Amino acid sequence: MKKTRILSLVLALMMLLGIASAGSAESLNLAQLPLTDQAGATVSILGMNSWYSTVDLKDALLLKEIADRAGVTIDWTLIDPTTYSDTVSPMLAAGKDLPDILEMPDLDLNMDYLSSGMLEPLDEHFDLMPNYVAFLEKNPDIKASLTAVDGHIYYVPQTVVTNNYQPVLMYNMPWLEKLGLEAPKTLDEFVAYLRKIKETDLNGNGENDEIPMSIQNAFLPYMFAPAFGLDLVSGYYADDNGVVHFAAYEKDAYKAYLSFLHGLYEEGLLEQEFTSLNRDQITARCANDQTGATFDYSWQMSNLYSAQYPNYDKTVGIIAGAAPLSGEHAGFYVGRNPVSGIFGINAKSNNKELAIKFLDYAMSEEAQDLYVWGMEGLTYEIVDGARQYLPRCTEDTIWYQGLGINAPNMPSQQSTPATDVLLPKWHVENDRTFEEPFIRAPYPTVYATEEEASTSSMYQVDIDTYVNESAVAFITGTKNLEADFDNYIATLESMQIAEMLKVRQAQYDRFAAAQK
Amino acid sequence: MKRSLGERLKRDRYLLLMFLPVLIYYLVFCYLPMVGIVMGFEDYRMGSGFEGLFTSKWVGLKWFNQFFSSVFAWRLIRNTFLLSFFSLIFGFPIPIIFAVAITQLRAKRFAKAAQVVTYLPYFISTVVVVGMMTNFLSPSNGVINLLIQKMGGKAINFMSDPAWFRPLYVISGSWQSFGFNSIIFVAAIMGIDPALYEAMEVDGASRWQRIVHLILPGISETVILLLIMTLGNLLNVGFEKVYLMYSPAVYETGDVISTYVYRQGIESHKYGYASAVGLFYSAVGFIFVVTSNHLSRKVTGSSLW
Repeated sequence: MKKTRILSLVLALMMLLGIASAGSAESLNLAQLPLTDQAGATVSILGMNSWYSTVDLKDALLLKEIADRAGVTIDWTLIDPTTYSDTVSPMLAAGKDLPDILEMPDLDLNMDYLSSGMLEPLDEHFDLMPNYVAFLEKNPDIKASLTAVDGHIYYVPQTVVTNNYQPVLMYNMPWLEKLGLEAPKTLDEFVAYLRKIKETDLNGNGENDEIPMSIQNAFLPYMFAPAFGLDLVSGYYADDNGVVHFAAYEKDAYKAYLSFLHGLYEEGLLEQEFTSLNRDQITARCANDQTGATFDYSWQMSNLYSAQYPNYDKTVGIIAGAAPLSGEHAGFYVGRNPVSGIFGINAKSNNKELAIKFLDYAMSEEAQDLYVWGMEGLTYEIVDGARQYLPRCTEDTIWYQGLGINAPNMPSQQSTPATDVLLPKWHVENDRTFEEPFIRAPYPTVYATEEEASTSSMYQVDIDTYVNESAVAFITGTKNLEADFDNYIATLESMQIAEMLKVRQAQYDRFAAAQK
Repeated sequence: MKRSLGERLKRDRYLLLMFLPVLIYYLVFCYLPMVGIVMGFEDYRMGSGFEGLFTSKWVGLKWFNQFFSSVFAWRLIRNTFLLSFFSLIFGFPIPIIFAVAITQLRAKRFAKAAQVVTYLPYFISTVVVVGMMTNFLSPSNGVINLLIQKMGGKAINFMSDPAWFRPLYVISGSWQSFGFNSIIFVAAIMGIDPALYEAMEVDGASRWQRIVHLILPGISETVILLLIMTLGNLLNVGFEKVYLMYSPAVYETGDVISTYVYRQGIESHKYGYASAVGLFYSAVGFIFVVTSNHLSRKVTGSSLW
């Protein structure tokens, strides 16, 4: 009796879903819904709240819908994303009274958490996770990077697009045109462009207030290091022969990179405040038509930067992306690793089975469809058989985000097509010009063995501290490249950089082997 | 006649009741957490909670060795010490000078107003103070740099120049607190017997002589007592303010033990290591307190214990 009721419910739901997904015949969800027949079943989740500070995802409509379909109530513990790591790390370290599902504060590459036994090995429950198993089959690279050294899989990933909407160099197109220039392709051309900006009243306000380029400190490595043959973004990177290098320890290339930036700084082309510059300031500069180039996620170029210009008409970009700069080496852009966040199951939970099933359902294509598209009539309509977002989605961001779109507290997967629809046509076309020739994959995420983790936790933090502060010192001239660079290299050596390189080499070799 | 303990407890019951919250506060927030010191000697296992303190792997002095062999150890100790030392050297005399000056003013209304104006900054939150500094000192549009440029100078990047970190920390700190700290000295000066002033006036002493021969000796005991108490807190540089002010650009002078512990412990999950460094820091602080207490007993005859 009961069984038939569940079955009919499932059938009814499937029919509903069939309509919602515009008649797609694919089976979107492999799990039996609802996940439990127990009334009032609850799953508690620790996760990140929305990046929009005025949005609280506790009552997000789409997430509620997912919970309703699964037949559970979610008990959220939502933490502000800007302080997520600071808040959650001590909670996890203490390990007391944790929720059933945990969104981890980082990718746990040193296996601090998963080797402590606080997380349930998920592969032992794969019979309860049909959706996740299907996902892993489709994505062997993600499976490779989520398989811990002990062979178990502990986490369900949140993924991002890796080759689209990545950080790129953007120019003030009207300025280039006024100067009669093509977008620079080399460092020399770029510097020539910056110099021209400095001496020309390009915004025509009679004042010499043009700022050649506005780059946040964090983007300098993305922008200039590739021309010197370095992937400074990843820090460690493998060359074509599979040999791992540490970019800030590449004596000649890194020195050349620093000396180039020091030159820009001395000439006033790289502003004095580059270490504290932020996106809001750059946006304000666009609003005043004050800057000639910037570097940011390509995602920002239309709706953030170009939108600041009063004469922007959404058909032609004003701040638009272009090819990376080349020097002695051909330029490239550094992409991203697909896994951006991970979710685990609290091994001490007394609600494990349901939590595992729910996490699996939250991975299903049916749930993914909700994260990306929302619901028909609410966020999209079907025009000529294709989905189109309703105008409110772009007009009322707070409402749209408040629904739980691309939920940061769920194992959601970003998709390029769903992003494209939100952007003007010129931007999508602009973005497609980078993908093939220029985007390069960063150093892969690989788990460390206990010994490797201990080595890197002993040395890496200090190395990072030293490299960061030295880079600023060399660029601003507080440290002299001629006099102090050898000392810098020697200090890195005394900080056991050689040990770290050995560790990374071993990890890379493991990763390469797992790929084959 | 000697009373029994019970009688004495009964007699002082209201006083004891009033003391109770203080006792609980110190037990819960100061003594109980000390159990965590043991983490400094072990490899704390994530998620093992309070029991983890007793079940994690014992590593002895491993973390201490690691800290002292780190290239940053000496720099952290030096920065912590110098930042406190300069705060003391420059921050301590200013309230005294200010208190003397304000009590010597004839215009009493002005003196009152000046006192209020100078102690108000004490109530501004550190976040706001650092925010104001960042704005005023910005090389592109900060007031200070605009002035420098108008006078023909070159803009200085105050907030990311290691050489400026200590002066900025000390100056902003004493700007914030000198008005408030002067209150106790003003009170001490007010406490001097007015008859002595009159006697000096009769003898024809100048204002300067009055300061040197009457006021300064009159408040010397307060000054010494406060100095010794400050010495005990010498190593307590404010974590919040340093954390808000610093960036990798000024680690050279701005990175102190407490910020390093924060980066290691909270940001990199090295709880054992962070505890060990924190413990070392506390041990040094403890030595300072004991020494200054000892000094105090010798110099002034009064001490905390």
